[in-house]
Amino acid sequence: MILRTVGLTKHFGGLTAVNKVDLSVEEGTIHSIIGPNGAGKTTLFNMLTGEIPVSDGEIYFQGKKITGLKPHQIAKAGIGRSFQQNRLFNNLTVLENVRLAVHAHHKGHFSLLRHFRAFSRPVEKAREILEELGIAGIAAKKAGELPHGQQRILEVALALAADPVLLLLDEPTSGMSPDDSVKMIRLLKELGKRLTILIIEHNMNLVMSISSVITVLHQGEIIASGSPSEIENNEEVNRAYLGEHTRC
Amino acid sequence: MVEEGLERHKPLIDREICMLAGLAFLLPFVLPYKSLPAEILIYALGAVSFNILLGYTGMLSFGQGALFGMGAYTTGLLLIHLGWHPLATLVCASLSGAITALVVGLFSIQRIGLYFVMLTLAFNQLVFFIAYQLKGLTGGDDGLLDVPRPNLSIFPGLQIPLQTNLQFFLFIWIVFIGCIIVIRRILCSPFGRVLVAIKENPERAVAVGYNIQYYKLTAFIISGLFTGLAGGLYALFMKMVPITAVELVTSTDFIIMSLLGGLGSLYGPIIGAVVVKIASEILSEIWARWLLVLGLTFIVFMLFMKEGIWGLITAALEKLKVNLSGKVEKS
Repeated sequence: MILRTVGLTKHFGGLTAVNKVDLSVEEGTIHSIIGPNGAGKTTLFNMLTGEIPVSDGEIYFQGKKITGLKPHQIAKAGIGRSFQQNRLFNNLTVLENVRLAVHAHHKGHFSLLRHFRAFSRPVEKAREILEELGIAGIAAKKAGELPHGQQRILEVALALAADPVLLLLDEPTSGMSPDDSVKMIRLLKELGKRLTILIIEHNMNLVMSISSVITVLHQGEIIASGSPSEIENNEEVNRAYLGEHTRC
Repeated sequence: MVEEGLERHKPLIDREICMLAGLAFLLPFVLPYKSLPAEILIYALGAVSFNILLGYTGMLSFGQGALFGMGAYTTGLLLIHLGWHPLATLVCASLSGAITALVVGLFSIQRIGLYFVMLTLAFNQLVFFIAYQLKGLTGGDDGLLDVPRPNLSIFPGLQIPLQTNLQFFLFIWIVFIGCIIVIRRILCSPFGRVLVAIKENPERAVAVGYNIQYYKLTAFIISGLFTGLAGGLYALFMKMVPITAVELVTSTDFIIMSLLGGLGSLYGPIIGAVVVKIASEILSEIWARWLLVLGLTFIVFMLFMKEGIWGLITAALEKLKVNLSGKVEKS
């Protein structure tokens, strides 16, 4: 088990957004968290990455407690994340975006008096990541000038920069065209061979086709967890989420 | 550079630096105002230091006057009361600027946006009032008078005089170019690139693993180091420390110079300092309300030319290049 939460809870004033969630993510799986809007998915995610403090409960990553760590410490521990809304260094090139992200985990990132090009390892690593994701061709373009689909891939590239063992992806296909979504699905399947991936997703196609485990969140609580076929046939899930989904 | 998507390695001294040094060296020979060239370079150093915060890290600090003033008082007081070597007093001026920046930064970076700006402004006012109240030490409203400007004794027997305008300018010029070389390197270092990342997207900078508070604070300290040095040079230049050195108006001077010159590069604030200082010298002779002209120019630039004077220059150079290459192809 690579990631485990015990009784993870988040209150916002009187509202309980996430309620006593016990989540277990097995190593080497692609694990999806689904649920209707307001189910607490993003809140859960933000607690895992340290963006917001937890109200109660603990988070264990590779057996070590990471509850209360700052986001940059969690990134250093080996958890990479992407955001639902693109958060890129818009005026910098694609390669520089990734190099910056890589260099955070290499020697000399606080070096003041040496030129950044004197450190060649982060540049090489950044190029490798762009190659792996198939976006090496746009290395010199500014991130802010890319079409949305390529920006989503760059989001994943930045999450990969830390050489994470666990990748947290917040709606990787949000706002993507169907064609681009297919590309992203292929990409994630490929990445899933060497990494553990935890995904929050609305896109049912993506969830059903790539997940090995699906956890369903409803009103802040886990109502089901299992393989895609188990989830598809789960009545409670159908009532809470899928039924609703097909209606609209 | 563009082909591969990363800036090339720049040596410490290259054509850019040589051109800057050459142009700056010409100032006393083209300007009719004798003491102005040295003052321009002192303010340019202050503006460049300010731009490390605004242009590179995205932090608008109104506290630079406090750093500048601390540097000026440090050099002034050490020269008056202890008679130290001028270079030693300048080192201390840098340190006092850096320490002040550490304190201002430590508190201010706890907040972002408007609250950050107001905190830096409050610190500037705080330091100003302390300087104003400590009349016995700083001279208060009258300024710290009679700061000596001794010659630089390098070895026993070797004295470098700083008395004439030109002698003093040369000294300032050397210090200025040295500082610019160091600042440019810092901005191209891995650290400097992280500052840009923080400006571009602080949440992402954190998410990829940078502890941005350390970087912001270090940016403050570096800015304080060079602003304090500029302040120390100012005390030597004026042979006194006017209370305005530590006032908010010094902070806003640096802000206006940087914005007018252009935030996007190292050289914008330098050009801004040159233009503002020369314009104020010329205009103040013609018309007592010359600040109005400066204000209007500033508004026009902010509305229509956000890239500043440096932006105009680079755009013009681009055009020229395109035109020239076009002509070459035709012929």
